[in-house]
Amino acid sequence: MSVLLRVENATMRFGGLVALNDVSFSIDKGSVLAVIGPNGAGKSTLFNVVTGVYRPTSGKVVFDGADITGKPSYEVVERGIGRTFQSSRLFSDLSVLDNVIIGMHTRTTTGVLDALFRPGKSRREMAACVEKAEALLKSGSGDLFEQRYRPAGALAQADRRRLEIARALASEPKLLLLDEPSVGMDETETQALIADIVRLRDVHLELSVILIEHDMQVVEAFPDHVMCIDYGSRIAEGDFAAVRANPRVQEAYLGKAAAHA
Amino acid sequence: MAELLVQQLVNWITLGCIYALLAIGFSLIFGVLNVIHFSHGDVAMTAPFISLALVQLLATAVGVSGPAWLIVAALAAALAVGVIGIVLDKTVIRRFRDAPAMMALVATVALGIVIRELIRHLYPQGSNPHAFPRLVSGVAFEVGTVPISWFALLVVLLTIALVALLFFFLKMTPLGLRIRAASEDRVIARMMGIRDTRVFRATFFIASAIGAIAGLLFASYAGVTRFDFGVMAGLLGFSAAVIGGLGSMPGAILGGLIIAGIEVLAQTFVPDGASYRLVFVFLLVIVVLIFRPAGLLGRPVMEKV
Amino acid sequence: MHAPASSVAPGTGQAIAFTVLSQLAGAAFLYFVLKAEGGWQIVGLLALLGAGFYLLERLPWITDYAMASMARVPLVTFATAAVVVLGFPFVVGSNTYVLHLLIVAQLYAVLALALNFQLGSANIPNFATGASYGIGAYVSALLAINFGLSFWLTLPLAALAATLFGFVIGIPSMRTRDTYLALVTIAFGVVVQQLLNNFDWTGGPNGLVGIPAPSLFGHSFADPLVVFGWKLPSQANFYYLSAALVVVAIITAHRLHGSRIGLAWNALRADEIAAKAQGINVAWYKVLAFAVDAFLAAFAGTIYAFYVSYISPDNFTFLVSVTIMTMVIVGGMDNIFGVIVGAFLLTILPEKLRAFADYRLLFFGVVIIGFLMIRPQGLFPQRMRRYGGEP
Repeated sequence: MSVLLRVENATMRFGGLVALNDVSFSIDKGSVLAVIGPNGAGKSTLFNVVTGVYRPTSGKVVFDGADITGKPSYEVVERGIGRTFQSSRLFSDLSVLDNVIIGMHTRTTTGVLDALFRPGKSRREMAACVEKAEALLKSGSGDLFEQRYRPAGALAQADRRRLEIARALASEPKLLLLDEPSVGMDETETQALIADIVRLRDVHLELSVILIEHDMQVVEAFPDHVMCIDYGSRIAEGDFAAVRANPRVQEAYLGKAAAHA
Repeated sequence: MAELLVQQLVNWITLGCIYALLAIGFSLIFGVLNVIHFSHGDVAMTAPFISLALVQLLATAVGVSGPAWLIVAALAAALAVGVIGIVLDKTVIRRFRDAPAMMALVATVALGIVIRELIRHLYPQGSNPHAFPRLVSGVAFEVGTVPISWFALLVVLLTIALVALLFFFLKMTPLGLRIRAASEDRVIARMMGIRDTRVFRATFFIASAIGAIAGLLFASYAGVTRFDFGVMAGLLGFSAAVIGGLGSMPGAILGGLIIAGIEVLAQTFVPDGASYRLVFVFLLVIVVLIFRPAGLLGRPVMEKV
Repeated sequence: MHAPASSVAPGTGQAIAFTVLSQLAGAAFLYFVLKAEGGWQIVGLLALLGAGFYLLERLPWITDYAMASMARVPLVTFATAAVVVLGFPFVVGSNTYVLHLLIVAQLYAVLALALNFQLGSANIPNFATGASYGIGAYVSALLAINFGLSFWLTLPLAALAATLFGFVIGIPSMRTRDTYLALVTIAFGVVVQQLLNNFDWTGGPNGLVGIPAPSLFGHSFADPLVVFGWKLPSQANFYYLSAALVVVAIITAHRLHGSRIGLAWNALRADEIAAKAQGINVAWYKVLAFAVDAFLAAFAGTIYAFYVSYISPDNFTFLVSVTIMTMVIVGGMDNIFGVIVGAFLLTILPEKLRAFADYRLLFFGVVIIGFLMIRPQGLFPQRMRRYGGEP
């Protein structure tokens, strides 16, 4: 299988704070990587470095054969990386449907002049977006489609997470980055989320997913490739059983999680 | 030539001090509330009118007048303006603390209009310019042949004293420390429960009273005051605070000196520079903000994702 | 539960009756406001208006019903609107003062729609709309006076010049935000106004005089307009011209709002970082908002210059920008209809309250603060986009 994303020796410093320390990993086309690690370990920073929110202090990000280190976010999306945020960042005063349509920004082309002088083209493109967005809203768990004209800010927590995923999928990504998608979901909702991700991969065989998760149920469902980060460094990588058995991981993460459980 | 230089140097420092005092108010309020109090300049420029009214009142009702009473009236006006600041905070500004920055900005711009129009309608013949006397008159000493007025000396000494006092207050007193904590980290301040009314009250009183002193000095420097002087005073003070870096006290002083410097340089060395001085000042503001969006001494803010 | 279209679906007959009657009622109301003399009549009409808004607020289905009716019979809606706008000067007759008010109100409506792209759609504070308006006016006036260019040629040239200016003020918006950006726009506004005030070739504080009236097919706009034997005062020419501009502005606003561009602006208004994560080039879209604003404002400026034939820097101050901003805020940000209503109300009311003429600015200030504190969404709040039901 071919490599889709490769991160080489990524380091991110904020002043004196080292948020990422020389992290390297790669992910193949069509696979799932679960990233685990305690709060503040640098997992979200990793996403931010990959998606161009931050430019890494040093290191390299290669996606689909091209160096995208420090490229602006909007370009990264266009190349095929979609993401969700840990604290869901929806456009809360816009409708659920509009949120998804905005996700298609890089896959649509209407410019100002088109919008003004070729309204037919603009309208047709919009109508196609609406159709695609409605299909996306129907495909996931929950009843987002029925709620499509509600403001996104009025959604329940689980629906917000689902909408963020739908919005990220709207950009037709090759790589989907999910930042703690199960936060705020109950047992049944989490199971539905896992089913959603599984179904997604069945439909899009090429789609790769990187998943930041605290919920071990979710990680267990995608056990092939797991990476653990602590204090900004990669401390273990392998399948779930191997990572779980790693003493450093147990010390850093599972020990604490077990204590909480 | 040397005489001209000394004279312009004096003008620069005098004007720079006045702008710095205005900028300090903007910075202080922004630091604590994260809101731009755009009408701060208008609040400051109510002080000359209040003190003129007080001088009148003293003359007619009590029958006293003279330079000493002018100073008394000016001090009373500064205190009154401090109270006005608290009232405006309570009634209007505080409501926009958590609103989008744009709303607070527009609201305080509108507040400035209201203040100016109130001066115009409430003060007798408020639309006209009113002569404002020098707070102190006479020559203190001479540098070469250039006379240095007591007024220039007063401006500089008063500015140093006020800055020192403010510095002491912010560093040494419990209330000052709380103001600083609130302005350095809003989240931490909120967690510690500092978000109480006393911090706001004190901030607005101090900022407005210092602004009032700047307003009095400005009117005194110009020899005249008018209801709409607050617009420019506000714009220049705000620009100084932004150039220096909002929230930074040394930045506010630096910004004030820079803005005054540009004005004086334009007036002295550019033909017809007096009419173009504002053009130079605001071009500088634009350039600084493009290249150093957080100001010269401000810390850039990185949004947490 | 969440019905896509309105829950009250009017039949065709009902829809036609409603859209015709409501527009006629609106026009009649405007007519009475324009004709009203004395404070009491105005106060009465204002009370009526207040009652109307209260009803709209209390019974939201009225708005849904109105929108559904108009969407149901778009041709009837447009035809009625055209008849009302075209016929209004005939009803007003020879009252040039009323026509003047309508021209000014329409130009402000265009300016408010222009600013709405930034303030409403993208939530970018721009205090330089007055400057763009002024650049449009000065460029066209200078071209007409010095080079004898016709109005129709100066129109696109002025728009082009102002759009370039819009790009220039837009550039700092890539690096600065909120308060800082607001200061940049204020600074640009002051610089433009000061330059106009100081340059010799702009006439300095005296401005430019003797801007020639436009003409079309040999008909000078300074002459009375004769239609089917009806003689309308010369202001009617400019009334129709500015009405045409309002139509252009509405179409522009509507098309951009309904396109991917309007959505991108709304996205960056809600959350810049999330907008970037959707692939939106936030900096570019901000600059674009400035350019579109300046473009439309320049049209308004050109018509204004040729209408009054005399312009000076005082027409384009910071306060003009604040006035335009008030209209957008009062009318309702990101609501095209609301913004137009805001412009009409705030142009006509202060003129009509002659007794309070001196308190006009005070009134503006209090109105802005009041709206921001009590009803920040304005008289007509933004509406969710509906797909499928609309033409």
